[in-house]
Order: sequence, then C-alpha cells, then structure tokens
Amino acid sequence: MNTTEPTRQLIRPCTLVYAVLMLLTLVTWGIGRAGLSGLGVSLLVLAFAMLKGQLIGDWFMGLRGVRGIWRWVVVIWLLIPGGLISLAFILSYRG
Amino acid sequence: MMSNNMETSAAAPVGVQPATRPAYPPGDLAIWIFILAELLVFAVFFAAYAFTRMNHVELFNEYQATLNRDAALINTLALLTSSYFVMRGVVAAREGNNALCARWIWAAVAMGVVFVVVKSTEYAHHLGAGVSLSTNDFYMFYLSLTFFHFMHVILGMVILAAVAVKARSGGYSVEDHTGVETGASYWHMVDLLWLILFPLVYVMR
Amino acid sequence: MQYKSQAVAKPYFIAAIGLFVGQILFGLILGLQYVIGDFMFPEIPFNVARMVHTNLLIVWLLFGFMGAAYYLVPEEAERELVSPGLALLMFWVFLVAGALTILGYLLVPYSGLAELTRNELLPTMGREFLEQPTITKLGIVVVALAFVFNIGLTILKGRKTVVSLVLLIGLVGLAVFFLFSFYNPDNLVKDKYYWWWVVHLWVEGVWELILGSILAFVLIKTTGVDREVIEKWLYVIIAMTLITGIIGTGHHFYWIGAPEYWQWWGSIFSALEPIPFFMMTVFAFNMVNRRRRNHPNKAAILWALGTAVMAFLGAGVWGFLHTLSPVNYYTHGTQITAAHGHMAFYGAYVMIVLTMISYAMPMLRGREAANSNRSQVLEMWSFWLMTVSIVFITLFLTGAGILQVYLQRFSADPLPFMVVQDKIALFYWMREVAGLVFLIGLLTYVASFFVGSREPEATVAVAEKA
Repeated sequence: MNTTEPTRQLIRPCTLVYAVLMLLTLVTWGIGRAGLSGLGVSLLVLAFAMLKGQLIGDWFMGLRGVRGIWRWVVVIWLLIPGGLISLAFILSYRG
Repeated sequence: MMSNNMETSAAAPVGVQPATRPAYPPGDLAIWIFILAELLVFAVFFAAYAFTRMNHVELFNEYQATLNRDAALINTLALLTSSYFVMRGVVAAREGNNALCARWIWAAVAMGVVFVVVKSTEYAHHLGAGVSLSTNDFYMFYLSLTFFHFMHVILGMVILAAVAVKARSGGYSVEDHTGVETGASYWHMVDLLWLILFPLVYVMR
Repeated sequence: MQYKSQAVAKPYFIAAIGLFVGQILFGLILGLQYVIGDFMFPEIPFNVARMVHTNLLIVWLLFGFMGAAYYLVPEEAERELVSPGLALLMFWVFLVAGALTILGYLLVPYSGLAELTRNELLPTMGREFLEQPTITKLGIVVVALAFVFNIGLTILKGRKTVVSLVLLIGLVGLAVFFLFSFYNPDNLVKDKYYWWWVVHLWVEGVWELILGSILAFVLIKTTGVDREVIEKWLYVIIAMTLITGIIGTGHHFYWIGAPEYWQWWGSIFSALEPIPFFMMTVFAFNMVNRRRRNHPNKAAILWALGTAVMAFLGAGVWGFLHTLSPVNYYTHGTQITAAHGHMAFYGAYVMIVLTMISYAMPMLRGREAANSNRSQVLEMWSFWLMTVSIVFITLFLTGAGILQVYLQRFSADPLPFMVVQDKIALFYWMREVAGLVFLIGLLTYVASFFVGSREPEATVAVAEKA
C-alpha cells in the first residue's frame, strides 16, 4: 500500500528518531557497564526498550500514518512482554 | 476483515488522496499476519525467560556477567542503523528511484552481516568454553533466544537481498513498491525484537 | 473432469472409503474391549484390534491423499499425468500389500509375523503405528517413490502453481520422513526420539501442507475467489505451520530422556501450533463468504468448512490442552491423548480427504459438477452424524481422561491403573454408543453414493432452495 504523505518529509524526523534510538542504546549499555542493578534501574532500562520499540513501530514501520487497530499493533505488543517482564522483576525483588 | 486487504494490497490508486489514513500498515498484509505470529512467539519466550529468572535470580545474574555486553552494543547499533537504511530505501522506492533504493537496502544487508559476524564470534567464544543448551537455565535461554533471533536476522537478510536485487533491475515504481515495504516491515520486526532482547538478557539484573 | 488421467483417482478413493469402514468396525470392537476385556478374545486381542484400527486409518488416509493428488495435480499443472498406468499399478501394489499386512496381523501372532517376514534381517517392527513388517515398509517406500515421481514430474512439466508446489513439498516430506521408520537404534531414547520424526513430523508437519493445499484447491474451485488471494493465505499458513510444528516436536521429548531444554522449546512452540489452524478457519470462512459464484456441490463446501473448524478444535484446541510440559506431566498417555487423537485425525485428515472425495467423485462418476440433490442431502446428513458423534466421542474421552488424571495421578492417594479404568467405565460405554452413531453416519455416507444417481444433477437454484 502506498503511503499518502509526501515521503521526502519523512527523512528528517526519521533521522532524529534514529539519533534518539542510538542515544538510548548507549545509555542502556552504559548502565550495564557501570554495573548498576536493582528494580528501579531494571524497569528504567525496560522502559527505554519499550520506548525504542514504539519509535521503530511508529516511524520506521510507518504505523503512525495508519488508522484503526493496526495503528496500535506494536504498542499493544510491547505492553505484553513489557508487562510480564516487569511483573517478573517486581516479584523477584519482593520475594 | 483482514482479507479485504489481502486482495487489494497492491494499491490505493496513486494521486487519489484518501480523506482518511490507510487502515492497513505498509507492505503486504500477509507479512503482517506473519509478523504478529512471530511477535507472539517471542513475547512468550521473553516472559518465560523473566519468570524462570525469578526463581533463579543469582544464577541468572552470575552468568549474565559472562556475556559480552560490548558485542551486544555493536549489534544493537548495527541493527538500528540497518533499520534506518531500510527506511531510506523505502522512501527512495516510493519516489521511484530504484537505484537509490537498492543502494540503501544493500547497506542495510551489510549491517546485517556485521551483526552475524559479531554474534558468531560470541557463539564461538561460548561454545569454546564448553557452554551448551544443557549447561544451565540461563545459558539455555540465552542460546535459544539469541539463536532463534539469529535465524530471523538471516531470513531477513535473504528477504532484503531479494528486494535489493529486484530494485536494482528496476522492479519497483511509484505505483507499485509493496515488495520493498513488505521486506522492510519484516526487517524492522527483527530489529524490534532485538531491542527487547538486548536489555533483557544483557543488562537487566 | 478436465483431464482423462484424473480418473485414476477413483479407485484410490473407493479403496479409501472401504478401508475407512474397516477402521471404524475395528474401532467399535476396540471400544467394547475397553469395557468387556475378553470380547472376541482370543481371535482378536486388544493389541491387534488397536493395531488394525490405527494402521487402517493411516493406510486409508494415504490412499485418500494419493487419490487427491492424482485428481488435483493434472488440473493444476494443466496436463495429463506423466504415467496413469504407473499410478494404477501402484494402486494395486499398495492395496495388496496393505491387505496382506492386515491379514497378517489378524491371522498370525505378531511374533510369528515377524519371523515369517524375516524381521531379523532389518528389524523395524514392534513400534506403535509402524508395526508393519519390514517388507511392507519397503513396499510403501516403492509406492511412495513411484507416486512422488509421477506427481512431481507432472508438476514440473506443467503449470506450476503454489497449490501444487505446496502439495509436492508435503508429499516429498511424507516420503522422506517415513525413512526414519527404518532407523531402529538399540538406545531406547534415540528410538523414541526418531520415531517421532515419522509420527509427529507427519501429522503436525508435512501432512498439514497436504491438508492446506487440498483445502485451497477445493476453495478455489468452489468459491471462484482469485487464486492469488488464496495462495497468499496458503503461504502464511504453511509458514506458521512449519515454524511451530517442527520445533513443536519437542512436546514429545519431555519424558523420554531427551535434554531438558525440550521442556521449554516444546512448550513454547507447540503452544503456538493452534495459530495456523485458526488462520485456516478464518481463511475458509472468508473465502466462502466472499465467493464469486454459488457452486452446486453444497456438500463439498460443507466438508471444507467442517474441516477448517474441526481441525482447529481437534488439532488446535485439544492439542493445546495437554501440550504444556507442566500439564503434560499429569496427562501424558491418558485418555486426554486419545480424545485429542480422535478429533484431530477426524477433523484434519479424515475430513479433508472426504472434502476432496465429495468434490471430485461426482465428476469422476460422469457428473458435470455435483451429485443430485437427494444424494447431497444424504451426504450432508452423514456429515452431521459423523461430526457430532466424533465431538461426543472426544468429550466422553476427555471426561474419562480428566477423571483418570485425577484419580490415578493427582489425588492425595492415587489409585492403580486398572482400578481407575473400572471407575471410568461409564465414559467408555458412552463413547461406544457415540461410536455406533458414527458407524451409522459412515454407512449413510456410503449410501449417498448409491442414492439418487439417476436423478438430475443439482443446480445452483435447486441447491439453494434445499
């Protein structure tokens, strides 16, 4: 299916998104390298990952320009493993 | 119903600007059904990792430290960069620039090669150290998850290469470039999965 | 019928139905032996009845698949079969070999059959579903090779469609994985491990490709929906089937001594095996709803839709019930497995073969497109009788299984196997009654071939009034 928006205009925001993705990745890696651990840190790292996934879905996969249920398909998916992983980590820090 | 689109996925007529945004994502709807199924498999796998870890926190933390986080960083950057290249390739195809599209897609494949090489050296290191699926639960998950993903990277590269070859021979046009978007969607999914896998297996503790 | 050589499908279909009747008769004997242990003993002991029941099933399904392929491939390839003569010859070879094997089971003690057929030269006997004497297995290989050669060459020389290529992959896979029945290692773990490469990779792997392509073919013919649409669905469905089904083999490796990671691999991948079956259901109903024409063969469409639903329920839902390793720890080898086996085999493979027979047989018998209205009505009655009774068989066995798991394995003081069997006898009786209804349905089905054959063919208008 062809998108309707002028495609040239996609490049600039996508480049910005790419920079954000690279930056968040470096931060995640830095957290690991610094040996940080704990529930708060883990959930923060996970939140970064979900944000990154959402950016990929919206901008690179182009779901931002879609209406209806497909618009949210990546976001909904992210919530499933994201929620379960969070739950498991919260429980493991409780127990 | 989804099948409506499966019949006509090739195209809204060009030049006609629909009043509303499209109801279906870019690319062939069949690939999206496939992507959904794949995402589901990995979601189950990720959750299984997290809940097994819950019962073996110390074991998981101990062996997570044996992984090469720097290699994982390189691989994450490689996949993100390749996704960006693929996006540029899609834009080129939409403008009818087949040659440019092919160049971007090949560049993305090259990033895939980087991933495969780095990941292979990681595997060589672990296998050389005598690690196997039966060593312990952590390595079982690490090897299963990353290898299953690794196979997807290879499949994605094959798909991208096919797209690039077709683009090189002028196979796409402003009117019809569904094939590029189909391959691109699959590749972005491979990237998306790694974005969860990387922090989960390499960083979170 | 567009090509003369399609006619070779007819004897295959007739043999399939004949053996089907035999399978059900032995099923009834077997079902009664669950509650009357010495019924027909010593003429037909339980183990023999079971062997005949399962072996007949496999053999008649293979006859059905071959017949379906011989009918489907010329039409898809748009040319005659390379060698109709070879197909007919192989029909007789397979039928005679199959009949002799069954007679061997019935007339000679199994160990005697092993001696008689010189099993010691290449021992392959004695394993569930693969009980056939080695010489029969070799015969099956010859038949399969000749069949794949005939079909494959026809496809390669003619028009290549997705439907026929998927079918060919399925048939080649069927032949290749059967070769593992000749591998019979001393190590019991390895023995079981590779035994599943035949059994599982057949029914949850390559057979599903055969199922998918036959279903796609019948839907293309009866709905008139564009081939491209149907092919795209077929691609997605078989990709999911292979991803989940191949690694899903792991759900058989939980307790046989295979490495522990199979607990995870098996659970995760096989838990997703219902997905392709669900897609198939959505697919079939979608195509029929979007049909471009009304086909006069209502019965065939009913079978096609029935396949899609029952395969999802039997293979998908009832498979999922006991596929996760923590659940299977309790349910392994109980009547839950039998419940799943009955509905999955009926829903997926019996029904797809009957779908193809229902679609093709009228043409093979000289009709334009469909049987007379009266014949179709009777056939649809048989559809409902058999389908409803298999649902009840499955439910009764599930009930028996749940009770068995609880009493024998889960409760605070578990009871011995035979004591539990006595306690669940009521379910076995009800299953037997449902089995009798199934037989009535099957006889109705056979009768539908002899009813109304002099009456005019059903037309769309008439069929719709009915």
